Amino acid sequence: MRGAISITGMGILCAIGNNAQQVLVSLQRKQSGIGPMKYLSSIHTDIPVGEIKRSTDEMKAMLGIRREEPVSRTSAMGALAVREALQQAGIKDLSHKRVALISGTTVGVMDVTEQYFERMKTEPELQYLPHSNECGKSTDEIAEFSGLSGARCCTICTACSSALNAMMVGAEMLENDEVDLVIAGGSEPLSRYHLNGFNTLMILDRQQCRPFDETRAGLNLGEGAAFVVLEKDAPNALAYLAGYANRCDAFHQTATSKDGEGAFLAMSGALKMAGLQPQDIQYINAHGTGTPDNDASESAAFRRVFGEAVPPMSSTKSYTGHTTSAAGAVETVICLLAMQNGFIPASLGWSHPIPGGVIPSLGCSGVNLEYVLCNSFGFGGNDSSLILSKHRLETQSPSLASEDGIRIAARQMVDNVEQLPLLKDYLSPMDTRRMSTLMKASLLSAFLALKEAGLEHPDAIITATSRGMLELSTQFLEDISANHEELLKPTLFMQSTHNTIGSAIAIRTQCHGYNITYSQGEQSAFWAQRDARIRLRKGQAKNVLVCAFDEELSEGKTAVFRAESTIYTLD
Amino acid sequence: MEELIFNLKTQIIDALNLEDMTPEQIDNDAPLFGDGLGLDSIDALELIVILDKHYGIKLASPAEGKEVFKSINCIADYVQKHRTK
Repeated sequence: MRGAISITGMGILCAIGNNAQQVLVSLQRKQSGIGPMKYLSSIHTDIPVGEIKRSTDEMKAMLGIRREEPVSRTSAMGALAVREALQQAGIKDLSHKRVALISGTTVGVMDVTEQYFERMKTEPELQYLPHSNECGKSTDEIAEFSGLSGARCCTICTACSSALNAMMVGAEMLENDEVDLVIAGGSEPLSRYHLNGFNTLMILDRQQCRPFDETRAGLNLGEGAAFVVLEKDAPNALAYLAGYANRCDAFHQTATSKDGEGAFLAMSGALKMAGLQPQDIQYINAHGTGTPDNDASESAAFRRVFGEAVPPMSSTKSYTGHTTSAAGAVETVICLLAMQNGFIPASLGWSHPIPGGVIPSLGCSGVNLEYVLCNSFGFGGNDSSLILSKHRLETQSPSLASEDGIRIAARQMVDNVEQLPLLKDYLSPMDTRRMSTLMKASLLSAFLALKEAGLEHPDAIITATSRGMLELSTQFLEDISANHEELLKPTLFMQSTHNTIGSAIAIRTQCHGYNITYSQGEQSAFWAQRDARIRLRKGQAKNVLVCAFDEELSEGKTAVFRAESTIYTLD
Repeated sequence: MEELIFNLKTQIIDALNLEDMTPEQIDNDAPLFGDGLGLDSIDALELIVILDKHYGIKLASPAEGKEVFKSINCIADYVQKHRTK
């Protein structure tokens, strides 16, 4: 038997509440938290947002952080959510426990970076500020401010599926007995950076979002932090993580495939792991962003998994806005509240069915929810699904293969611009035209490693990076600053998430398998290798491609870069 | 009109990172998306930025640009009729 992964505590801050109780009340009263911008400083005041109703300074005061300390909103929100989760789980003393904090974020400490971006250029004393795109910094800070200083910290950066993937990684750490207790989730504040980024993609609705409605015209950005406490076989379980899966759509960096292949594979994988049939699911918390693309593609995937009998489904992004990297955890907490209190959250704003589409639930109370499915999909087609069960499921644990059979089948490094013309053997100039030097180097290292190993495509792709797409992110920050948030380049933003390279490899090799990105400073590669071994030992992949990459800039351009791809196989 | 077409092509080559191409290599009548030049949804967004930035034309969505962005000639016609700068 596999030890059951129990959830023993939850904490949340989002547009509809600063704790779980407030969120529950808003959901039951069908009150959305989306409205005019109050805390974020941007010229785009016509764009409605789902803000947490608290300033960063107020949060810092609650955590005992001095006002002048340049602490990220990401970290402050995250620490408050972690504290609530630990409190609910009744955990006071962690000194004798092995603890891990796994957080999903993409913005990281960008809110601080953008605040000081111009001043950093001329004031050397500000250079210490975390201006380097390191997402791992926010997780370290969350640990520090929530009293988890001894915890192992790990950050997952797979854009809008980050927090759901963080919970998966945490569950596997418990399963493998690497730790005794996991706090997993995500934190993502609103930033000028990604508000403007989504604006360049023209997917922000100027009105309240209307997921699964025929007239839907885009998403509303929100912010949120949510964490759950995970323990093995705990007596005080609120619910259990019964199944989860991550798969890749491998279609486009920002668009979704028409048939929702990645979403279909993720939901099917989670059901298989839980040992459940589609008809067992009693509620689906959809990814449901409200963009024309997502909702059509997710509906197609629902039909493929559930046929005509799609269970009651809603998108709670109509309350919270799209909390991007935190969405998986925010919506898991919402699912837990729905299960505990026996109701189906309404999809707000819906009135016109999509012809032939799936109709969302307008809310229902007095129901017993035994099994609930939660979807979270990110840029690059990074699609994840999670199944919660109210009671412990008796499932067989997969037998783990021995470590001894794992070997390195190939390893290729690219760190010199003179190597880059070799990419012509694999990709057309039309395909490479937008790519940064780092992206070209990483893709080339991946192709060369696959060739050396005699493989056409990998079964799984894991990437590791400390600073991600540093050049493109810096250029987009410059673009925002120089053009005062107007007429910015979508090309810069759409490739600026840390998982861009993992997705790019998947798209070019048509790899629909597991795809995850770790960003934890110098430990990023360690986490990626650890994960590769688990995929192989669990028999989920016969080979895994691990690509580690980073770059350093000089005057805003790539000066030094290094990309290394390794293929791990199991004999 | 010829000058407008040349300027448009130069702006497109620059914004869409078509570094290996010259304005002469882009056929005025050839489709820009799909089987023609092979542009994608992100390019459509970049084209919207070009029209706004250089010609003061605001398109509300990529769907609105679908007819406009069929070919270089289509864009040039549209710009000539609707430009505000």
